[in-house]
Amino acid sequence: MNDKIRRIYAPMTESGFYILYCLQSPQHGYGISRQVKEMTGGTVTISAGTMYGTLSKMEKDGLIRFHSEEEKRKLYCITDVGREVLEIEIKRIERLYKNSKGEMVNA
Amino acid sequence: MRKTVFHIFTIADFNEEEEWLRNKHKNGWKLVKMTPPCFYTFEKCEPEDVVYRLDYKNSKRTEDYMMMLQDFGWEYLAECFGWLYFRKGADSVASEQDAELFSDNESRLEMVNHVVKTRFFPLCVLFLCCVLPGLTNTVLDGNGGIVGACFSVAFGILFAIYVVLILYCGAKLRKMKKQISKL
Repeated sequence: MNDKIRRIYAPMTESGFYILYCLQSPQHGYGISRQVKEMTGGTVTISAGTMYGTLSKMEKDGLIRFHSEEEKRKLYCITDVGREVLEIEIKRIERLYKNSKGEMVNA
Repeated sequence: MRKTVFHIFTIADFNEEEEWLRNKHKNGWKLVKMTPPCFYTFEKCEPEDVVYRLDYKNSKRTEDYMMMLQDFGWEYLAECFGWLYFRKGADSVASEQDAELFSDNESRLEMVNHVVKTRFFPLCVLFLCCVLPGLTNTVLDGNGGIVGACFSVAFGILFAIYVVLILYCGAKLRKMKKQISKL
């Protein structure tokens, strides 16, 4: 992963994180939005323009790639670079969570 | 029954334009067609509360994009100078974000930046490279007679329009960006 990717995606936006997380299995934009709504109990909603823009950007940056097409809908899935970014972000969130509970984190 | 309305909205007025279209629909006139530069064709309909949204795509409209907006419940209406017009019935809106095309500040800011980069900057370039030299040339060249005078007046008017437009849009887009980053 190069510095540019690190600069843009660490930390990630909330929408970005959920989108990348969901793309561990192939999905299209609307499918991701439904999955996010479900897994967050409706707390996080990603709108159409935000979804489209984030997917386009992530594809350009190589975090996700085109998987297949289903009735004019593009399905995407995560790449190795994307997995690396996701892992870094999950570690960051774990640290935040632990620290928020007053726990110390060992490097 | 149909009617066509002439209305000018600048590149910085898309929020007002959305509200204007929504009010028209509330009064029983739905948008059916856009004719460049700024003619809106409406058709008589049942008064309804319908959310109108504009996205700025600037020639990057793909089939995949249109499909996604349709999946999210947006009806595509028209396109005009890179602006895409969509609407969605207010009763089918489940949440605040569901009535928006953009649900986070990053993407909102990106759209405004895109407008600045591909519309506002070219406007400034056109002003500096065509209108301004045009005006100074015709004014300095005092031997043009009546034709020259007409050109000077025409460039003078164009100059005034550009100055107002650039100041207005520049200030408004800047304010918009500030507001988004403060949210």
